[in-house]
Amino acid sequence: MLKQVYVNKSVLEAARERIAYIFDEFENIIVSISGGKDSTVLAHLALKEANRRGRRIGLFFLDEEVVYESTIEQVDYLMNLYPQNTIKLWLQIEFNLTNATSLTEPYLRCWEAGKHKIWMRPKRKDAIHHPSWDRESEVILNKDIGLDFYAVLKNFQLTRHNTAFLVGLRATESPNRWRAVSKNPGYKDIFWSTAMENGNVSFYPLYDWNFHDIWKYIYDEKLRYSKIYDYMYKKGLGLSEIRVSSLIHEKSFKALVELPEFEPKTYDRLLRRVKGISVGNLYGKESKMLQVSKLPKNFKSWRHYRDFLLETYPDQTKKEIFVRRFEKHLDNEYVARQQCRQLVLNDYENNLPVDNKPDPRIERLKYWQEVL
Amino acid sequence: MRRYETDAGVFEVPDFPVIQTKKGQVKLPVMCPILVPRHLVVANNYNPNHVPDNNMQLLLESIVSNGFTFAVVTVYDEERRCFVIVDGFHRNTIFGERWLDADIIPIIVLEQTMAERMAATVQFNRARGVHQVELMAELVRALVEQGLTDEEISTRLGMEPEEVFRLKQITGIAELFKNQIYSRSWEMVEVDEHV
Repeated sequence: MLKQVYVNKSVLEAARERIAYIFDEFENIIVSISGGKDSTVLAHLALKEANRRGRRIGLFFLDEEVVYESTIEQVDYLMNLYPQNTIKLWLQIEFNLTNATSLTEPYLRCWEAGKHKIWMRPKRKDAIHHPSWDRESEVILNKDIGLDFYAVLKNFQLTRHNTAFLVGLRATESPNRWRAVSKNPGYKDIFWSTAMENGNVSFYPLYDWNFHDIWKYIYDEKLRYSKIYDYMYKKGLGLSEIRVSSLIHEKSFKALVELPEFEPKTYDRLLRRVKGISVGNLYGKESKMLQVSKLPKNFKSWRHYRDFLLETYPDQTKKEIFVRRFEKHLDNEYVARQQCRQLVLNDYENNLPVDNKPDPRIERLKYWQEVL
Repeated sequence: MRRYETDAGVFEVPDFPVIQTKKGQVKLPVMCPILVPRHLVVANNYNPNHVPDNNMQLLLESIVSNGFTFAVVTVYDEERRCFVIVDGFHRNTIFGERWLDADIIPIIVLEQTMAERMAATVQFNRARGVHQVELMAELVRALVEQGLTDEEISTRLGMEPEEVFRLKQITGIAELFKNQIYSRSWEMVEVDEHV
């Protein structure tokens, strides 16, 4: 059985040793960065080691176009911290993003050719503008959406061999993902790694770091960090709610409410770029519209509301995805409310899966009826 | 009667009429608007309110169909001999080149100090619109520098004391963690279940 055992080292010492080990073992190293706090710390630790050894490492950023300006500024900062030790892998290529803010534009093709006039910002000279892999044999993970974020990552990784990919995953922040990746060692006996194709391996050198360790490191090293964190703090919002990535994802509705205040220019550009944005802004925090916790007045039941939403769903092909999925579900109010949420959020990708089980309220009722 | 000298001539504003209320006398500047050339009306440099483009379009449509129902609220700047906007920045913008391109605009002229002027802008904006946090923090700092206490700031700007406190912390979130110590590291180790 695997057990968590404390050792007599700080997380910082341990992370430095882990990174040194990866440098000993691998000639090619690429750090994935998002502009967030964790990958900022990871990139800095790796860059310092590269600098000490006089080596160059890749910094990989997959640019989703519809992101905070502060995220872009942060990535730009990291890419230019140790220029002599950095290989810039800033990808600005066309791929599809789920667009939870609009029913008529269910996904958005970022960096779409011909739409350069309404892009959030122009492409950068120092970025990679075209896929470096063979389009004919490209991997597609989800047929409905086509080339998406994870498919781009996969195709990019397949262009590399015997490369260590460093990722800022932390066990306390994403316990489920951590459990999944740490089940089997991905390289030799290193449990904080996962094996991939072509001898590539993902490593998670910050796995045991806590929230405060990340911020302490940023403070001690006087690193720049995305302004979004300060904005959120000044507003008194929970720091765990902050995502620095795509602004139109199912999970970023809350961020959309605050966007006009944080980055008015980004919001203006987003309005021009994506249909449905002002709905997200007006209703992101309103329970009825997009969080779907209260049944609208004119419907008798969640099932009734679900049928209405399905009937009026504007996109026929996406509608079939929902119908097929819902056919496999139980028919009760608990499930129906979640189905409504998927329909309202346009979640045909099943990012917020339906918990398909008997209605807990009915079950409790049954229990008491039996007891009494 | 007040007189304001500008490069486009002298403008006179009668004394504001007053009405009696249970809070005492209330002035009615709304009764004394004046028409001035638009170039005399300038934006303030501290208004932290921003209106997205789609809402500007709405404002334009409303003005075209209903007429201009609220004068732009200003104070007179003696040094620059012009009128600085306290409320109505976006209404004034609508009168500008990009939208209506009008020559003159109706304004109301208040008489206030600099600190009062800033506070007035925020009071006008709080009810609607949103404030950019960073500019709001700048505004609070400016008021602190003018000697206002936290309490005065919070009542004048209509903010919770906690919000004033947060806005005063211009240092940022990383600062909060400086005195922490790093956590102890841990590993996953294979152990015998029977032990």
